[in-house]
Amino acid sequence: MDWLEQELKEALRKQEPSPDFMKRPRRAPVAPVRNWLAAAAAVVLAVGAGGAYREYEGQVAKQKVMLAMRIAGSNMNHIQRHILEAQQ
Amino acid sequence: MKRLALAALMFAAVLPAQQFKFNLDGVGAKASDSVDLSLSGPMLQFAAKFLDGKDPDEAKVKKLIGGLEGIYIKRFEFKKGGGYADVDLEGIRSQLKAPAWSKMVGYKSSTDGENAEIYMRMEASKIAGIAILCAAPKELTVVNIVGPIDLDSLAELGGHLGLPKLQKK
Repeated sequence: MDWLEQELKEALRKQEPSPDFMKRPRRAPVAPVRNWLAAAAAVVLAVGAGGAYREYEGQVAKQKVMLAMRIAGSNMNHIQRHILEAQQ
Repeated sequence: MKRLALAALMFAAVLPAQQFKFNLDGVGAKASDSVDLSLSGPMLQFAAKFLDGKDPDEAKVKKLIGGLEGIYIKRFEFKKGGGYADVDLEGIRSQLKAPAWSKMVGYKSSTDGENAEIYMRMEASKIAGIAILCAAPKELTVVNIVGPIDLDSLAELGGHLGLPKLQKK
C-alpha cells in the first residue's frame, strides 16, 4: 500500500456522528413567501430600471427632435426673410 | 417572380425613408463642427410622447411632427472657405428633379456668397416632403423632411427658437 492509498483510506474512513448531532439546531427551510417576495422585488427593480431607461431614451429623442426643428426652422426662416427682403 | 417581388419588398422595408441621398461623407471630414440627425417616423412618434404640450415651443413641435415619416439633417461648419465643392451640391440637386421634386424658392447672394434653395415633393396634391439646401462659404446645411409639413409654422418656429450652436467634432 503506497502513501496515496493510505491517505485516501484515512480520508474516506467511516465515522460515526457525535452523540449531540441530532440536537444541533438545523437551518429552517426558506419559506415560499420569502421566495415570492424576492422574485417580486426583482421584477419591480427590473421594471423600474426599464422605465428609467425608457425615460432617458425619450428625453434624448426629444432633444434630437428639438435640435432638428431648430435647424430646419431657422434655415426656412432665413430663406423666407431673404426672399421678402429681395421683394421689398 | 413572386420571390423577386418579396425580396424587393424586404429590401424596401430596410431602406430609410429619406427621399434623397446626401452623399456628403467627404465634406464631413473637412468640417470643424457638424450635426448629423437621422430621425425615422417611429423615433419621431416616440419623441412626441416626451414633448410637453404645456410648453409653447414643444407644443408647436409636437403638432408639426405629428404626421411626419422622418427628418434627416446634415449640417457642417468650416473654419475657412472651400470645405465643400460645387460638385457636392450638384450631387444633391441632381436628385431633386421633376417630376418628383419641384423647386419652391431659391436665392443667391453675391455679397455673402450664400446660396439657398427649398424644394418640395408633392404626392396626390399634398406635400410629401421638403428639401432645404443652404450653402454659405463656411457653412453647409441639407435638410430632408419626409411627410406633410406646414412650412409657415416651421419657419415661424425657426424664427424664435434660434439656431443652436453646433457640437464640436
